[in-house]
Amino acid sequence: MLEVRDLHVRFGQAHILQGVSLSIGPRPMAIVGRNGMGKTTLCQAIMGLVHATEGEIALGGERLNGLPPFRIARRGIALVPQGRRTFPSLSVEEHLRLVALRGAAWTVERVYQTFPRLAERRRNGGTELSGGEQQMLAIARALLMNPKLVIMDEPSEGLAPVIVDQLIDVLRGLSNDGMGVLLVEQNLRVAMAVADEVAIMVTGRIATSLPAKRLEDPELQRRYLGVAAGGH
Amino acid sequence: MDLAATILLNGLTLAALYFIVASGFSLIFGLMRVVNMAHGAMYLIAGYVGYAVFEPLYDRDVWYAWYVGLAAGVAFAAVFGALVQTLLLGWMQGQELRQALVTIGLSIIVADQLLATYGGTPRQFFAPDAIFGSTQVPGVGGYPTFRLVQIGVAVAVGLGLWLLLNRTKLGIMIRAGVDDRQMLGACGVNVPLVGVAVFALGAALAGLGGVIGATAQPLAQGADGRFLLISLVVVIVGGMGSVTGTALGAVLVGVAEQIGQAMFPTYSVILTFLIMVTVLALRPQGILGRA
Repeated sequence: MLEVRDLHVRFGQAHILQGVSLSIGPRPMAIVGRNGMGKTTLCQAIMGLVHATEGEIALGGERLNGLPPFRIARRGIALVPQGRRTFPSLSVEEHLRLVALRGAAWTVERVYQTFPRLAERRRNGGTELSGGEQQMLAIARALLMNPKLVIMDEPSEGLAPVIVDQLIDVLRGLSNDGMGVLLVEQNLRVAMAVADEVAIMVTGRIATSLPAKRLEDPELQRRYLGVAAGGH
Repeated sequence: MDLAATILLNGLTLAALYFIVASGFSLIFGLMRVVNMAHGAMYLIAGYVGYAVFEPLYDRDVWYAWYVGLAAGVAFAAVFGALVQTLLLGWMQGQELRQALVTIGLSIIVADQLLATYGGTPRQFFAPDAIFGSTQVPGVGGYPTFRLVQIGVAVAVGLGLWLLLNRTKLGIMIRAGVDDRQMLGACGVNVPLVGVAVFALGAALAGLGGVIGATAQPLAQGADGRFLLISLVVVIVGGMGSVTGTALGAVLVGVAEQIGQAMFPTYSVILTFLIMVTVLALRPQGILGRA
């Protein structure tokens, strides 16, 4: 579905992405890695929000490099950004109206069925929601674009464990519906619960890519993520 | 008592004109963070172009001459604004200093071209019979009907803008763009195109002000600078990017100007700037502006 080949991003002297190559198929994929490894920059580069200096990004064989973000969005990629970035001036209902498409698989009604909490708060402003509600809204906003691939950057950040469990269910459901999912996570539990395949990012490169099950190995966690199940 | 009521009404009618012009300025700033120094030039160009269309029709004694002149002025300003955004400012998004310099340069060119084309003689539209003459206002007596119409137009502009921003999809896009332009693009919205629409709308409001203003009082060179300055003061006082704030700022500035001219004509300008200085000292984001 999405092919990323030898992607480089530089901000001035800083070489953030140093040749990322990724291939995302119909199975959900997660990218894990410590802070500052370039995960968010990768999401933004795919979405066209930051400029890639080298390399290629293609969706279904069509090149996306250099397109403005709104064209990339219309080609079928939606981003649930880090920090949610809902619009403070818009109500829940207005967020959904902004992106809703007529006659598509995901409609405003379906969003309200999937996230009943958003239906209850449809008149509330984007800033009057709790963290979990804002995350649901950011996901709903992405789904209403009816993308082929949804990229989620740290969706579990700052959420209560019970909300995280709901989130895992929603993400699995999307993948079962045939939507491509690229999940960027620091929370290994979420990454392993949602994705079949996990790529590990270290200093701007994909260090390795392996089946999610193998991440349970504490030795592997220590080597790539600097964390161990028993702490360190 | 009569005098006080007349001064107040004069202030309000002037405020109405200020609101029409400044609301366009505020709208453009709100979405695009462009301090459009050519806003006064758009006022001026709409006045002159509208007059060029109005005059031959008026000479032939056609009843709709003024309406056609108004439409021509507004339409010309809107197209001019859309072109300025597409050809010049769209390339320097986020570079405020560059945008300010380009729009200052543009307004100098526009003013000189208008001087070369139309000469320096002041021009004034004649309002159609229906809104010409005077109307009895309780407590004031006979008052120019057109100045009352001016208030009506300003109220209509205010309501229209409120409905546009709060009830339409374009309004949702504009407000979302003020919050987070980049994320709006990632939602599949063609943000540059929304920018062109907003610029055209803001320029059209300057143009509407240009024709209305040139009907209430003669239009001459220098009006561009005057109305740019007024727009700046009004949105600084009221709060950038807020329609209600712009209305409040316009009323304060308009009424203060009329009170000043009645009580101490020589120094009346000082009153306007005193208001601005006070607001800047106590509430730098403007009375209704967001911090």
